[in-house]
Amino acid sequence: MQRLKSWEGILLALFLMTFAGNVVLAPEFLTVQNQVNLFQLSIEKIIVALVMTLIILNAEIDLSVASVMGLSACAFGYMVTQGWPAGGAVVICLGVGLVAGLINAVLIARAGIPSLVVTLAMLIGFRGFARVLVKDQSMGNFPDWFTHLGQDPLVGPLPLALILFVVLLVGLGVLLHRTGFGRQIVVIGTNAEVARFSGLNVARVKTTLFVMSGFVSALAGLLYAARLGSVRGDAASGFELDIITMVLMGGVSIFGGKGTMPGVFLSILIILNLRNGMALTNITGHIQTGVIGILLIASVLIPNLASDLRARRAKAV
Amino acid sequence: MAVLELQNVSKSFAATAALKDMNLAIEPGEIHAIVGENGAGKSTLIKIMTGVHQPDAGQIRVEGAAVAVRSTQEAQSLGIAAIYQEPMVFPDLDVAENIFISNRAEGAFMNWKRIYAAAARLIEQLGVTLDVRRAASGLTLAEQQTVEIARALSLNVKVLIMDEPTASLSAHEVARLLKIARALKAKGVAVIYISHRLDEIFEVADRVTVIRDGQHISTKPIAEVTPDGLVKDMVGRAVDTHAVKTAANPHGPAVLRLENLGRAGVFSGIGFDLSAGEVLCFAGLVGARRTDVALALFGIAPATEGRILIDGAEATIRTPQEAMARGIAYVSEDRRKLGLAMTLPIYANISLASLKKLLGGLGLIDRGAEIAMAETYRTQLAIKSPDVRVEVGKLSGGNQQKVMLAKWLETKPRILIFDEPTRGVDVGAKAEVHNIIRQLASEGVAVLVISSDLPEVLALADRVLVMREGAQAGILDIAEATQERVIGLAAGREARVA
Repeated sequence: MQRLKSWEGILLALFLMTFAGNVVLAPEFLTVQNQVNLFQLSIEKIIVALVMTLIILNAEIDLSVASVMGLSACAFGYMVTQGWPAGGAVVICLGVGLVAGLINAVLIARAGIPSLVVTLAMLIGFRGFARVLVKDQSMGNFPDWFTHLGQDPLVGPLPLALILFVVLLVGLGVLLHRTGFGRQIVVIGTNAEVARFSGLNVARVKTTLFVMSGFVSALAGLLYAARLGSVRGDAASGFELDIITMVLMGGVSIFGGKGTMPGVFLSILIILNLRNGMALTNITGHIQTGVIGILLIASVLIPNLASDLRARRAKAV
Repeated sequence: MAVLELQNVSKSFAATAALKDMNLAIEPGEIHAIVGENGAGKSTLIKIMTGVHQPDAGQIRVEGAAVAVRSTQEAQSLGIAAIYQEPMVFPDLDVAENIFISNRAEGAFMNWKRIYAAAARLIEQLGVTLDVRRAASGLTLAEQQTVEIARALSLNVKVLIMDEPTASLSAHEVARLLKIARALKAKGVAVIYISHRLDEIFEVADRVTVIRDGQHISTKPIAEVTPDGLVKDMVGRAVDTHAVKTAANPHGPAVLRLENLGRAGVFSGIGFDLSAGEVLCFAGLVGARRTDVALALFGIAPATEGRILIDGAEATIRTPQEAMARGIAYVSEDRRKLGLAMTLPIYANISLASLKKLLGGLGLIDRGAEIAMAETYRTQLAIKSPDVRVEVGKLSGGNQQKVMLAKWLETKPRILIFDEPTRGVDVGAKAEVHNIIRQLASEGVAVLVISSDLPEVLALADRVLVMREGAQAGILDIAEATQERVIGLAAGREARVA
């Protein structure tokens, strides 16, 4: 607990530093429109990162999220191109997400195959399916209402996706830290056998989480399609790594059981601000990625070094 | 001259003093028992002797010469080694390879013939039989310990520390280990024997040292102490270690009835009645499958044959949820792996099995009620912790046991199964756990206790069910249960005993 609190303190300081850096670099950074844009650029990833937080806390992983996003986006593009009504296509795509999540869930929670293996296979499988649907084309011509939802403000300056992010952030934060279900997620992530021997339904919790992940990923895929106005077979490709990075940097233990939603939120803010600041100073995307990578390593190293140091100091006393 | 001597050794961690002015002299060829409650400083003492920790003050002498022991390697080269409850062997290597794992005298090429011969000789010196070509992965815990001891012997050990070596051993394995300790003694090796089990100490030790709160209390020849006196020294007050039998020995209608219960390939033919307020103990050797019966009752590994009746009605139990719905609770023997979420706070562990009761609207946990509930148990069971927000992993074994107990008491069970309720728990806490079990029975809970500790079985039980190799060897009323009869049934020698 102490470790987590101090980690969130470091994250908060890092966030304030990146934020202040951005303000200095570009005074217009502070406008509402800029702040909205900052989130919009990565909005689909940060939405999925919220559910990924629950999954990693549960000592599982879902590598298939970006492929489900791609599949949902491509399925939408395919159906609209085939002349289906877009409203119905949205519903079907969300259903696709539920089914994709359920496939993961059954293999992981019922058949007992490690989630790393199952979702790696599905990362490949769902992506392949998406590519089959759209072939080498780019599919666009979405109805106006759909692209409006993806690109324009809905309430005040806030677009739909950002509203959904805030709702999910608060909703899943409360779910994780205040409800019985959240407690079960953490206990199972700490020690699934202890949970089972305490009468918790481990399979049901895991099933719920993976179905949730599939659904939210499909939703994020639709938001992605709406924001860009067209889809290709590689839509959202590789996003899973950015998403997992956000979660781990937020102080969530890859072994499960430890981590908080506020920590992940701070980590998201840092990454968004850092990328923005580096873009302002003309640092290229590749170097940006490298910096984020170093930050991730540091995020795992620092807490370990700190506890090491504390142990050594305790020994020296 | 003492082979190992500690003079005024002190050690503190942060603000807490773990050892204060410790004086201890170990003579060659003696078996020297060290006893003390959990937290008395035994672990720190071992760690200082084996070079894991360095003393803040004081001196360590080996054969009269002052030495600094800065690492376990240095300790080993001085002839000091330790074996623990959980042996360290490499599962993919064979016995001989494990014995000579740290022996680098061989050079680049191994003379396997000589290694196997030398390994066989070492095992023989210990007075036991073990095939040196067997893979370590197939060895029992006791055999793995033998390997560790042989390994120490190969390094010319002068002082061998045995830390709770029998905690997970069955009765005949314990006898074997004590035999090994005597063989080492005969070879002139000093054995430091640390155990909670006083009967073993009285059987094997030459001298016994009591430590309490990091301080040396007494060192006496074993002939000059009594078990009660030892316990009194350990806890600093008199503790009643003997059974106080509750007068009531109820034989009302059976709350739980097992008819020919079995699980294919694991156990079979288990049948008994258990009334409210009755304590039935499961005795037997390790491997008698006692825990498997409990796991079947609790729905972890359901029974495949026979019937379970609760209040006279047949009950199907396929999951822990179904078992709990019928008022069954199972307090596991393995706190670390199955019992407690060690990194979570006390309150979250206590509420774990009864979370539903704490849920308000929208499934939100009533935090206030949760903390209050945990506080009640902290007071009631005397869990030693300033606060219920402390991580469970930071508590001592006995207090962890109480937290686990609190978790199950909160489910208000009617049938409570304890699996090795006092393993790794110190004498004081052991008496407390026994009192709690008796208290529960007197309140009308039907209690099943699985225990490898025979005095405990005889102290707690109204009846004793003895299992042998997955079968029911017999049920004894407490009046007819003696150590000899129980062991006889457990080992299959009843005919000779009776």
